[in-house]
Amino acid sequence: MDRLNTIQKTVVAIILATMAIVVIVPILFFLNVAFSSDVEMSKFPKSIIPSFTLTVKVVPADNGEYEIFYDNGEGYRSILTTKNPIKLENHFRRQYNVSVPGEKLLRDFSQTRINGPMEFKYQKDILYNFKQFFAIVNNALPALKNSIIVSLYTIMISLTIGSLAGYAMARYKFKFKETINVSMLIVRMFPTVGISIPMAILLIKFGLFDTMLGLALLYSVPNIALTAWITSSIFVGINPELEEASMVFGANRFQTFMHITLPLALPALAASSMYAFLTAWNDTISALILTNENQTLALVVYKAIGTTSSGIQYAAAGSVVLIIPALVFTFIIRKYVNQMWGGVEL
Amino acid sequence: MKNIKLADSKKSSITKLDNSKQNKRICDTIFSKKSVPYLLLMPAFAFYAIFWLAPVISGMMEVFTDMDGNFTLIENFKLMFQSDLFGESIKNTAIFAAVSVVLQYFIALLLAVLLNSKFRGSKFLMFIAMIPMAITPTAVAILWKTGLIKEGWINSILMFFNIVKKPIVFMNAEGLSAVLLVMLIDTWTVTPSVMIILSSGLQGVQKELKEAAYTFGASKWAIFKDITLPIIKPSIITSVILRLIAAIQVWAIAVMVLGYGKAPFLVERIAFYVDVVPGLPTSEKIAFTLSFTTTVIVLAATVIYLRISRRKTGGNN
Amino acid sequence: MSYLVLKDLEKRYTKNGPLIVNKMNLSIEKGEFIVFLGPSGCGKTTIIRMICGLEEVSGGDILIDGESVLSKKPKDREVSMIFQSYAIWPHMTAFDNIAYPLKLRRVPKHEIKKKVMTAAETADIVSLLDRYPAQMSGGQRQRVAVARAIVVKPKIFLMDEPLSNLDAKLRVSMRTELKNIHIKENSTSIFVTHDQAEAMSLADRIVVINKGMIEQIGTSMEVYHDSATKFVASFIGTPPTNFFKVKIEEIDRELYATSKSFKYKVQSELKKALTPYINKNVDMGIRPEFIDVSAEGNKPSEYLCDTTINFVEPQGTHSILIANIGENETKIMTTKYMDIKPKTKVPLYVREGKAMFFDEETTRRIK
Repeated sequence: MDRLNTIQKTVVAIILATMAIVVIVPILFFLNVAFSSDVEMSKFPKSIIPSFTLTVKVVPADNGEYEIFYDNGEGYRSILTTKNPIKLENHFRRQYNVSVPGEKLLRDFSQTRINGPMEFKYQKDILYNFKQFFAIVNNALPALKNSIIVSLYTIMISLTIGSLAGYAMARYKFKFKETINVSMLIVRMFPTVGISIPMAILLIKFGLFDTMLGLALLYSVPNIALTAWITSSIFVGINPELEEASMVFGANRFQTFMHITLPLALPALAASSMYAFLTAWNDTISALILTNENQTLALVVYKAIGTTSSGIQYAAAGSVVLIIPALVFTFIIRKYVNQMWGGVEL
Repeated sequence: MKNIKLADSKKSSITKLDNSKQNKRICDTIFSKKSVPYLLLMPAFAFYAIFWLAPVISGMMEVFTDMDGNFTLIENFKLMFQSDLFGESIKNTAIFAAVSVVLQYFIALLLAVLLNSKFRGSKFLMFIAMIPMAITPTAVAILWKTGLIKEGWINSILMFFNIVKKPIVFMNAEGLSAVLLVMLIDTWTVTPSVMIILSSGLQGVQKELKEAAYTFGASKWAIFKDITLPIIKPSIITSVILRLIAAIQVWAIAVMVLGYGKAPFLVERIAFYVDVVPGLPTSEKIAFTLSFTTTVIVLAATVIYLRISRRKTGGNN
Repeated sequence: MSYLVLKDLEKRYTKNGPLIVNKMNLSIEKGEFIVFLGPSGCGKTTIIRMICGLEEVSGGDILIDGESVLSKKPKDREVSMIFQSYAIWPHMTAFDNIAYPLKLRRVPKHEIKKKVMTAAETADIVSLLDRYPAQMSGGQRQRVAVARAIVVKPKIFLMDEPLSNLDAKLRVSMRTELKNIHIKENSTSIFVTHDQAEAMSLADRIVVINKGMIEQIGTSMEVYHDSATKFVASFIGTPPTNFFKVKIEEIDRELYATSKSFKYKVQSELKKALTPYINKNVDMGIRPEFIDVSAEGNKPSEYLCDTTINFVEPQGTHSILIANIGENETKIMTTKYMDIKPKTKVPLYVREGKAMFFDEETTRRIK
């Protein structure tokens, strides 16, 4: 029933191949930029594979100086003429991402006095852009810390309040249950931007403006409802008889919840944590509104991009750091996303 | 020790455990079955009262008071309407939301259907298709910016294949082409998440339902049109609403790739007044009013969309 | 000429994998109600899916009305199927479900209405036509599946365990209805089930299938009283046949089936057939209703052995006695000694001619 003829198969293959290319190629180029040195940025056209080494041509010049040539795709161009070791070292570091002491460079170049113009290959410092990002961009390192902190806060707040609510929704019948259900839905989908600015004023009153806790409170607004929803569906799936057995054998409701129910609901808790994490980690606009000095990493990267394109490779490197946890967690919870959204009706 | 029996004797074991307290009457009321759910929901209620309801109300109040604190119905709206690029931002947001959602659904549905048949490597391809959505949106903007700059890799590819003779200056895009640019980048980022939802919906269609149609003579296309599509309708509706809500709030790509003002959107304007010109009292008011307006638009769009889709279904969901 | 022929039919799922269906040959006449009977996993569903056109055939051929149908889609084979889960489309009303096959064949609207009504009448669901599946019970959904299957007047009517998901009482009443519909529609039907009581009551002929191969084809009476293999004898009948490992010995020119617990004189009609098995082991099978507690007077029987009754299970019309003969737990069905007390020691007799013997290796019955 499922067989396709050859033409259909080819079409399908082309479509899927296109998709794969469209996804992978930009990412490869982006990674390349993240590892590129300054001179490589001026190369045009850009290559897709990053180079891990640097090749320069050195020509001996008068006065004991050396002329450095670099090929950025259009032939060797003269870049610099000097014999100053400090100047050399800085040049190589800033332009080529190569960290070699100036004296060593001079010693290497002295060979050209004997052999004539030579090519020299140096290892690029792969992590240079990353180090630069955290050095140049204000607050980058503290921002990283902040992002971690605010994510943790968000997880803690959302999980505690949310799972209690989820348990209530799962196990009890009570008046207004439907109303609460609907209102949680509304809150979950409410555009955060609608409350961000009023939130700022509220936080100022509480003295929580520009703090990670304050930011976490905002992030928790949709996440508590989301956690409640995720956990309630898992709790419903846990046989109440398991809890009743625990109480028959002497535990009270709270102990039962902690020792029996919660461990069984671990997948739901894990999924809720990751959602909470991603909300906090990825957000930029709320951070923009609610913080001043204590920025999150996403916000810092946003600000680093500026309007000019110079130094973009450092921002790219910073983005790579930003991306990694997000990538990892998204893939872990995607199985759960599948279950949740398949067949969900409003 | 008196043994108080609750209406539901199954849960009487709980009260037996509380028997030791002298003022057990109070304990019983607090921990009686009736009040427990409300207790559990209390933290959530309190949280939302303080951190959601209050901001929403105060935000609304801000919108309806002028800078001196007096009530005004339209003063702030006037400010907003007259503000820079407001008209264009509304137009762009509408176009963007409508077109991008449609575009993304076509592509996502196509991919979901193709990847649904479990052929060799389909799991791997699904994995690849999902990568863009896992990347932080801010990083996505940078990713594309590296490509769109004059010496970027997009121009490199175009020139490599001789599609253009000179590099295109994407950054100078304005008006509709700017919106188009933002739309393409957004599609790249967002289509995977739509595809996942549709994919799980597709997997929920039982195999025998399709086989039955095939047995009775349906072609592959008829099976898709008559059986699969109607059954995944709920997934589609749910996800369209979520996508719509997110699309109306687009801003980061526009700002990070093109800069403020080049491709105005509703939330882009909000960010402008918060980030670029904060401090002016008018800025504040405009920002509040914009937030309020955006929220209203989002809710309205949701309601309208739900109404339309309910009617089409004939009320059987 | 036979209406449906399976010729050397084979199925395997992976290139060098095991054969799920093993060189099956079968001829079915027009108008027959055939039942495929066998345990789960024996391949019966796979065969019917191949006949329908839902599975690829790995080897052999399927002919309907003289023509090979391997290259044809189900619609062109003119077959209809009732799926085990009914496969009623949840987003369509009962009417639309039944009408869909006709819609696909571009039958004009007024004709569709007529045909659907006729099918609905036969399946007795006219009052439910406007309802959606979610608003129907399991039994009602099943009838919708039936109506949908008959509305196109197929050549062959395939049913894959259609009654398994119904409760016991409904199952019994529905099976009579299905048979009536088969008769009324003059169809040729193949009914798949693992329930031997169902098979016995419905079939014109039963095809007993085990591990992808046919064990026996025959009427209900034939598979019961004239079981061809050990599997058929054990699968058909409740309580199941009792089996004993015995050795055939010749004593005083008579043949005896001997085990550690008994020495049973073999019935004379089997003497010739069993002679080649002298001093060899065979499997002996006796149905519970053919074991008597003490000689029953007017029914000639042959003495088996003495034993103690361990349990008594009264069933009203009869009782089932459970005893041990050697290591074998043996079940005896009696109408005369229904009140016997456990721990009673009794002599057992086997009704004359009712002992069955099976070749140990081929499992075929020796006759």
